[in-house]
Amino acid sequence: MNRPRTGRPAAYLRFLAAAFTANLQAVVEYRISFLIQVFGMMLNNAAFAAFWAVLIARTGSVGGYGFTDVMVIWALTSTSFGIAHVLWGNVRSLGSIIQRGELDVYLLQPKDPFVNVLASRTIVSAWGDLAYGYLVLAFLPGTGPERLALFTLLALGGAVIFAAVFSAAESLTFFLGNAGPLSQAVTEFLISFSLYPETIFDSGMRWIFYTILPSGFIAFVPLAVYRSLDWPLVPVLLGVAAVYAGGAYGLFRAGLRRYESGNQMGTRL
Amino acid sequence: MPVITVENLSKTFRTRVRSEGLGASLRALIRPEWRTVQAVREVSFSVEEGEVVAFLGPNGAGKSTTIKMLTGILTPDSGGARVLGLEPSRDRTRLAMGIGAVFGQKSQLWFHLPPSDSFRLLGAIYEIPAPELARRRAELVERFGIGPYMDVPVRKLSLGERIRCEIAASLLHAPRVLFLDEPTIGLDVVVKREIRALLADLRAREGVTIFLTSHDIGDIEKICKRAIIIHHGAVVVDESMKTLKHRALARKYIGVKYAAPADLELPGLAPVKRTEDAASFVVDTRKHNLQEVIRALVDRGEVLDLTVEDEPLEDIIAEVFRGRSEEEARGAARAGGEAES
Repeated sequence: MNRPRTGRPAAYLRFLAAAFTANLQAVVEYRISFLIQVFGMMLNNAAFAAFWAVLIARTGSVGGYGFTDVMVIWALTSTSFGIAHVLWGNVRSLGSIIQRGELDVYLLQPKDPFVNVLASRTIVSAWGDLAYGYLVLAFLPGTGPERLALFTLLALGGAVIFAAVFSAAESLTFFLGNAGPLSQAVTEFLISFSLYPETIFDSGMRWIFYTILPSGFIAFVPLAVYRSLDWPLVPVLLGVAAVYAGGAYGLFRAGLRRYESGNQMGTRL
Repeated sequence: MPVITVENLSKTFRTRVRSEGLGASLRALIRPEWRTVQAVREVSFSVEEGEVVAFLGPNGAGKSTTIKMLTGILTPDSGGARVLGLEPSRDRTRLAMGIGAVFGQKSQLWFHLPPSDSFRLLGAIYEIPAPELARRRAELVERFGIGPYMDVPVRKLSLGERIRCEIAASLLHAPRVLFLDEPTIGLDVVVKREIRALLADLRAREGVTIFLTSHDIGDIEKICKRAIIIHHGAVVVDESMKTLKHRALARKYIGVKYAAPADLELPGLAPVKRTEDAASFVVDTRKHNLQEVIRALVDRGEVLDLTVEDEPLEDIIAEVFRGRSEEEARGAARAGGEAES
């Protein structure tokens, strides 16, 4: 059959759109479960908002962050995390996919296995996380079309960084055999750091936020950009996200050479 | 023209040796012990366009490892392979456009979605233009008889229904070579027969080269023209099915049943199974004259039934494995003896 050479961006976009549609269809197969998980996640997040409201009402501010600031980093972190898991649902399952030899199916297909495997799933509750950020913004003063557009771009950058860090931790499975506990720790630390004011952490450890656990690029710098509508910094942040994505991709490719496959019975979920 | 050429292909895995007990585990933390396992040893063969080849061997012989190197999933340590003129580990993405693969144990269909949705997605993955996808899909649905399952979520299909959909899905992009790793594993006899018929039909209609690994002798006898047998990572037999079966012609399975109890003592030939009025024999025609054996049996009494059959292929293959293992054991013993003396 005479078809165009694989790997063109348009073909990739069509494939990603098809994968997204298929994932969405798989999720909607279980409508009630979908709604419960989405609203459950939003409710869960809202409980933390109530906690912060009470805390800041008593203290005035925490580490220089007012209630609005805390809510914006919550919104940014939540929507970024949501987008990452809606679009690339396998970011935190990559390690077990590698370990169980399930990369085979993706390696047999004419698409980049990293992109293919990440885009082959969506996480239902992540839709709740994604929506929660916008819900928070709706209640905050000063939200308008410009801030919404800015917020969306910042969250997209954050999503790429989340996905890059999570998938890099999971890719360590190629080298360590089982990177599950490490990946779990990275996930929890990165989320926790991104949900608290940067200034409450010891200045000696803040370098972590701009290197291995980049909460700085997910929440703190984007907060400053959002507050002052600092558009020129947006491409810089997106560039940083691209660097993290490149690093994660490189690590996966390096690990792939060590992939040993396996014959465990399995099915694609 | 060969579509698959394999030359001295080798692959070694390194696995960690873990002894029992907490102490051993702690020691292994500091100084892990490794053991290398040679999964594939200098395997060479080639497959012509349109051939249907069975790739056989016991568990752990290196079948799956070889097929994974041929599809680009694993990178060989040494030696080389070319499939459709491409080097699988280097040109994996391009090669994927020309090959199809069904790994019985791994599904490429979305578990929660009906096959129709997976087919659409595979269309995007293989960049098949919409009209061509629709035509090909209709053709495969009809040939594989999967119309009734196309809109049922895969999780609700039986294994047989699923595997039919799997094979159809692997053919959407009209591959020239189809790799099947244990395609009939876990299927019942009827479904196995259907799958074999579909594969034979596929070969006849589209001239697709089929490279199949299987434990199931039925798969091989029915659809393959050639068998490559691999044992401990090395090729031990590579010959046409006809030649392989010809080995069987040296040995005949004879069953005889009499109207009344009969004396079944034959000089130099003991029955492998016997009752008062019936017996079965395995006759090596290189040692015994078949005609004389049959005449002697007929002379012993009134015969109700007499059957003469070729040795089942399964037994021939088992014998090849046994012979190879004994040879290796003798070789090892000799090497040991030499080392001692």
